[in-house]
Amino acid sequence: MEKALIVDGLRKSYGRLEAVKGVSFEVNAGEIFALIGPNGAGKTTTLRMIATLLTPTSGDAYVYGTSVSREPEKVRHMISYLPEEAGAYKNLTGLGYLNFMASLFADDKKQQKEFVSRACEITGLGDRLKDKMGSYSKGMTRKVMLARAVMTMPKLAILDEPTSGLDVLNALEIRNTIKALAKEGMSVLVSSHNMLEIEYLCDRVAIIDKGIIHVSGTPRELKERYNAQNLEEVFEEVAK
Amino acid sequence: MRRFKVLLFKELKELLTLQMMIPLIIGVVVFLFIGNIMGNETERAKEPKEIIVLDNDRSDYAQAVANSLTSANFIVKHYTNITTDQAVEEAKENDISVVVEIPEGFEKGLMELKPMQVKTYSIVRNFSLMGSMTTRIVREVLNAMNDYISNEFMKSNFSVEDPESLKNPIKTVDYTLIGDKQAEIDPEAVTGFIMSQTILIPILMFIVIMFAAQMIAVTVASEKENKTLETLLSTPISRISLVAAKMVAAGIASLLMAVVYMFGFQSYMNGVTGGALNQVASMGSKEAFKALGLSLNTTDYIMLGTSLFLSILTALALSLILGAFAEDVKKTQGLVAPLMFLILIPYLLTMFVDINSASPAVRTLVYIIPFSHPFLASPNLFLGNYETVLLGILYQAMLFSILVVIAGKIFSTDKILTMKLKWGRSSK
Ligand SMILES: Nc1ncnc2c1ncn2[C@@H]1O[C@H](COP(=O)(O)OP(=O)(O)O)[C@@H](O)[C@H]1O
Ligand SMILES: [Mg+2]
Repeated sequence: MEKALIVDGLRKSYGRLEAVKGVSFEVNAGEIFALIGPNGAGKTTTLRMIATLLTPTSGDAYVYGTSVSREPEKVRHMISYLPEEAGAYKNLTGLGYLNFMASLFADDKKQQKEFVSRACEITGLGDRLKDKMGSYSKGMTRKVMLARAVMTMPKLAILDEPTSGLDVLNALEIRNTIKALAKEGMSVLVSSHNMLEIEYLCDRVAIIDKGIIHVSGTPRELKERYNAQNLEEVFEEVAK
Repeated sequence: MRRFKVLLFKELKELLTLQMMIPLIIGVVVFLFIGNIMGNETERAKEPKEIIVLDNDRSDYAQAVANSLTSANFIVKHYTNITTDQAVEEAKENDISVVVEIPEGFEKGLMELKPMQVKTYSIVRNFSLMGSMTTRIVREVLNAMNDYISNEFMKSNFSVEDPESLKNPIKTVDYTLIGDKQAEIDPEAVTGFIMSQTILIPILMFIVIMFAAQMIAVTVASEKENKTLETLLSTPISRISLVAAKMVAAGIASLLMAVVYMFGFQSYMNGVTGGALNQVASMGSKEAFKALGLSLNTTDYIMLGTSLFLSILTALALSLILGAFAEDVKKTQGLVAPLMFLILIPYLLTMFVDINSASPAVRTLVYIIPFSHPFLASPNLFLGNYETVLLGILYQAMLFSILVVIAGKIFSTDKILTMKLKWGRSSK
């Protein structure tokens, strides 16, 4: 099977603190893969390295075979990254923001229009997109941000805590959007500290804590292996 | 290129918001307003002043002295048969501020060569600068009277035809030397001219650099604060266009502000000085300035412009780096403040100290600060010290290149996301 992402022994230190201590995993094409772990586990740091924002202290990651550390520009054309708590330019309207971001990715006007219209559909916000983003609720902002991240149909979407801080309904909508996109062939790498909801979303998970991946597999495999009811119990066993 | 334009447009939109524009507009309106008032006051100061002469002597001579004031540009209301109180009352009612009372026996006393006492009453209506005008009027009135009386005396008693030359027998012809050039002109006029030509440069520079530095640091810090920077950095746009878009946008916005402020400031200065600074040059001394080499040619302007431009670029690069250290907008204020001192120090030093003859320590300090060089450039260009100016430009260019390399390093590595100042905060 084709690999969307191969992560090979990634490490990252911030000064004396080693936040990620040699992380390896693989994401298959068209798969939704989740990194789950508590706050401070090193999820964001790992995702930022894959998204070419941070330079790994050692190790490397390959997006469809392209090295993140050696050819970051090429990788940026294949991925899109939704940062944790991604913010907006408050003076722009939702539509204005999508247009601005689309123009940074698109090769021409036609493609830009295509991106924006796909994004508008994904947000499901209709006319509210004509309002300034400063007036949006958290859920609305997140929908625009997610739509922005996937409107270019990237080969690999990297989504950092896409549902954190949202109410149940908004979180559900976001999860459904991600699932639908994966069905269309997009590979997705998400992170979450909410281990219960991730079961419904992803194909495979890796449990990360203190910068180390302890186990990975499908949720069912893991639950069986540790004789647990849910992934939270699995984590409890693993983290012992 | 298309992506760069999109970025530039977005940066400009962020910068030229209403919040940015309102202080600017208010500032200019205040400048224009004050300039206008001052202009009107200065105009009024030039108009002939109305005064009351209360003549208790009622002699022909007193009448002649009063008339002589008319030729000294006063409008004289001449009264002979009212009391002092009535005269003052009259002045108060008619917005006249000076009453001059000529005593009885004025003519007789003067004929006997006794100094005579004249009483003046000044009505002060406010304590502003314009209120002090009455003092000047009184002095001018007395000078005019003294002049008239002594001139008349010399004419009639000693048959002097031209009393003025007798009183000031020495006339001067002033020469000013600059380098190996000389011209027939008063050195004060030269200094005034140079001032008028260079006074705007430091002010302009100060405004542009402060605005530009503040703006660019804020745009970087606010992208961090609003968490938009990460998104931007993960897109396929090159980091160079990202940095360039920010710098160009801040440059354009601050130039715009500079132009607006210059316009406001010029009208203020014109109001305050009654255009005196500009008039200096037109007093038939243009030829003299040229003879002294005190006119800037195209090369001079290019050099001055280059020096200014490099200063602005340096400030932009420096504040871009400073902005990268700030986690939020509030912290940029503290980070950019030192930059203000870097501009103020050379500004004040060059204003009060002759750098070319200052102590080596002071001179080194001034030369090291990149923002000194435009201040030094214009006097040096006037004096023909091209080498100094060129060396300054070279130094500025070098410093700017180094700063750009550093800024590029910060933005093209993950330093832009991980760098922050730890003021007393211990890291885990
Ligand atoms: N820019 C940074 N500078 C220093 N330490 C950091 C920085 N970012 C994260 N860390 C530290 O690295 C560790 C992992 O953080 P992070 O990757 O954000 O975890 P998670 O996303 O799983 O909550 C934490 O201990 C955090 O404090
Ligand atoms: Mg995180």
